[in-house]
Amino acid sequence: MFSIFKIMSSMRRRSEIVFLYACSTFVALLLSAIIVEAVGANWTDVWNSLLDGSLRKPGRWGKTLGSAVPMAMVAVGTIISTKVGLINIGQEGQMLVGAAFAAYVGAHAPGSGPIVICLVIIGGFVGGAFWSGLAGALRYWRNVPEVLTTLLLVTVAANLVGYALKNTWLLLDPDAAFGNRALVSKQLDPDSRLPRVEIFGNNFSLSVILALLIIVLTTWVLSQTVIGFKLNVVGENRRVGQRFGISEVKQGLMAMCASGGFAGLAGAMMLASGDFAKYRLVTGFTVNLGWTGLLVALVAREKVMAIIPVALIFAGLRTGSSFLAATGVERRVTDVVQGLLVLALLVPPAILFIRDRRRALAQVESRT
Amino acid sequence: MNELANSSTSGGSVLTGPPPAVTAEKLSKIYGSVRACDEVDIELVRGEIHGVLGENGAGKSTLMKMLIGLVLPDKGSIAVDGKPVTIRDPLDAADLGIGMVHQHFSLVEALTVWENVALGDNSRIDRNRTRDRVAELSHEYGLDVNPDDRVEDLPVGMRQRVELLKCLRRDPSVLILDEPTSVLTPEESEQLFDSLRKVVGEENRAVALVSHRLSEILHATDRITIMRNGAVIDRCLTKDTDANSLARSMVGREVGLSYSGLDNSNKDSDVKVKSEPDNESKKIEERFLLELKGISTSSALGVRELNDFNLGIRQGEIFGLAGVEGNGQSSLVEVLSGLKRVSSGHVLLNGEKIPSNRFGQLAKKGVAVIPEDRHDSGVILGMSVSENLLLSNMEEGYKNGFLNKQKRDVRATDLIEKFEINCTGPNAPLWSLSGGNQQRVVLARETSDKPIVLVASQPTRGLDVGAIEYMTRQLRSLADSGVGVLLISSELDEILSLSDRIGVIFRGKIADSMRRQDADRENLGLLMGRGEL
Repeated sequence: MFSIFKIMSSMRRRSEIVFLYACSTFVALLLSAIIVEAVGANWTDVWNSLLDGSLRKPGRWGKTLGSAVPMAMVAVGTIISTKVGLINIGQEGQMLVGAAFAAYVGAHAPGSGPIVICLVIIGGFVGGAFWSGLAGALRYWRNVPEVLTTLLLVTVAANLVGYALKNTWLLLDPDAAFGNRALVSKQLDPDSRLPRVEIFGNNFSLSVILALLIIVLTTWVLSQTVIGFKLNVVGENRRVGQRFGISEVKQGLMAMCASGGFAGLAGAMMLASGDFAKYRLVTGFTVNLGWTGLLVALVAREKVMAIIPVALIFAGLRTGSSFLAATGVERRVTDVVQGLLVLALLVPPAILFIRDRRRALAQVESRT
Repeated sequence: MNELANSSTSGGSVLTGPPPAVTAEKLSKIYGSVRACDEVDIELVRGEIHGVLGENGAGKSTLMKMLIGLVLPDKGSIAVDGKPVTIRDPLDAADLGIGMVHQHFSLVEALTVWENVALGDNSRIDRNRTRDRVAELSHEYGLDVNPDDRVEDLPVGMRQRVELLKCLRRDPSVLILDEPTSVLTPEESEQLFDSLRKVVGEENRAVALVSHRLSEILHATDRITIMRNGAVIDRCLTKDTDANSLARSMVGREVGLSYSGLDNSNKDSDVKVKSEPDNESKKIEERFLLELKGISTSSALGVRELNDFNLGIRQGEIFGLAGVEGNGQSSLVEVLSGLKRVSSGHVLLNGEKIPSNRFGQLAKKGVAVIPEDRHDSGVILGMSVSENLLLSNMEEGYKNGFLNKQKRDVRATDLIEKFEINCTGPNAPLWSLSGGNQQRVVLARETSDKPIVLVASQPTRGLDVGAIEYMTRQLRSLADSGVGVLLISSELDEILSLSDRIGVIFRGKIADSMRRQDADRENLGLLMGRGEL
């Protein structure tokens, strides 16, 4: 009897969540439509051009996939650091450092194509891990809040990479024949780029497949291995972990490095896939994808698999927005839509959390 | 029913003088199968200190919480000054002039004394007026506190005074104190009782003093109600009674016999303990399972906590460590949990030195711990029962680092059955369990891997009667199976009824230790209060 009651209540709970998500998404879309109408455009036109830009027009969904990959990688890393109780918000910088490491490796590594590709990818991971590792080390060595350091290191990264792009011994393309050669790195050799796949007139690089593999693998590691268990223990109650020999510092540093590492990997993939800036590192290379990836993680709420649909939606908004010009709506309107969607997807869990806590409190009060 | 009610309400008017400040009739509160309070009657009369005496879990606190509105009674009625009232929450109670000082302080440490007193005021806070009022009150009742001191800088005795001031400022006609002396030294208790005398004598308030300490009930009250298992056992005037008869009614048996009187099998162990030291165990006595040698620790602020602390636990014994809270017990448990580094000294387990800088070593080598605050270092609320059970021995669920869910859940199901943990299954999140069942999860995990030593710190705190009995039985049977048990408790009764040897901790040191047969309440009390006889 009791267990039946439990199952019923969990079913009711699930349908409640779905209902709340449906409501809040509807409200977000409604508000978006109102905003579009308010600026004098037609919302059906906007909707159609968003779909054209992200899916329907030839070659567009390949582009969408290309944008989704870095967002998803950043989100994977974010979830790993959140698991252990650390807040990493400097992915934008970690991506950039990762991409810089990758570009340097790509320009200097000896050997044949496939080896260089691997080294470029690994170099990206190492770069990102190094950058977030700095914040992690400061956190455990001197108790500096990682929220601050990760964020501030974004600016440092931008300036350092900017410096590297001005000097040939670092990243600047030494090819004097290349016209507008300021602040541009050497292009990756054609045989050290990630191969591209072509299906139904859309083409995308192998990074898409790599990203899917990483998402599946991360889900598995977090839920099915002792590594994930230990990360979770430290995140939930570090003192219990310490008692049983699970070191907070070790797990925290590991998670922090992995977190930045995946952001760096995202940077390396952007460089090697050719979806952005034609296999070169340029200033402003990361085009805010680090921040968007952070939003993806926020919406996916610790569920790695949920990253896939969320990243696709956000990437769709991004690629779709480039088709908006024809409708007479400023393309930035998609940023507003994106913001509203993030809010819409965050509100239901918050409502449930508040309600649960209120109920629990009421229960505790009636008990004591 | 009706007859009784009539007789007592009319009784109030028949007696000369005003009706009692509070009259409670047939108050009942039932939690599941536990009758916390079963048709309890109590009258609090102005000008009197009314002692409510009983063991832990007798229902004293529940009764008082019903008077203050923290717990709603299932049945029964309450009248204030003869008028029937319903008290839904502490605000109702405050309006009726009932105030309570709780066992656990509810002070904001970062704020000053007067700020704490002003907390909860709805109107604009007048700094000068509140400070003056605090100073005035503290002078009036001999509660010497500086209104501008920060609470975090005050010792516990002073904090107790602040709690009392908070209550008195609202000018309550009825004042309830729940175990007010549990953290006080004898002198501090003495001062508290003097203040209470003033409150009662000069201002004609009614005071209810809840305690499980015979001496202070005898010393400080006018009238006594004795509770046991949720019911009133006896009522008497303090001047007509003595410690022995009070103890008899409180415990329900001769106090001298309370030693391991929880189940029949203990009769044998009783005999064993007494005969062994004379015959064969002289050489065993020399061997300690767990030995602490010259342990010193300091807090983060550099305050010395343990000070050259020495202790040895033998096989199969329960060593009861008594002491007023805050004399280094929590630091001791942290050291034995591997959560704190020692600044000098070392821990020996079976004669082997365990490095204190390698966290997790003690747990791995067989030192099990039931921490005082299980949410702090005992369980992980956000994880499942099976995951919590896995912590001490991760190989039981992870083969070469990979999850073996079936093995993990089978083990969890076994432990759930064996320790009678009431939950929906191995995957139930830990927060969904009641406090007693969470404590069983800790016990199950800590004792399932055959520990060498078990450290149990306040293992029965916050548990209901049934859970307390279960826990004490488990401790006894663990000791009988050869585990060395270190029982740390501020409840002298718990120590006396369970231990084979007893030590008293005072200011980070063992003041003295003795065999159970040689211990008596009075000497232990002196050792706890001042560290010497």
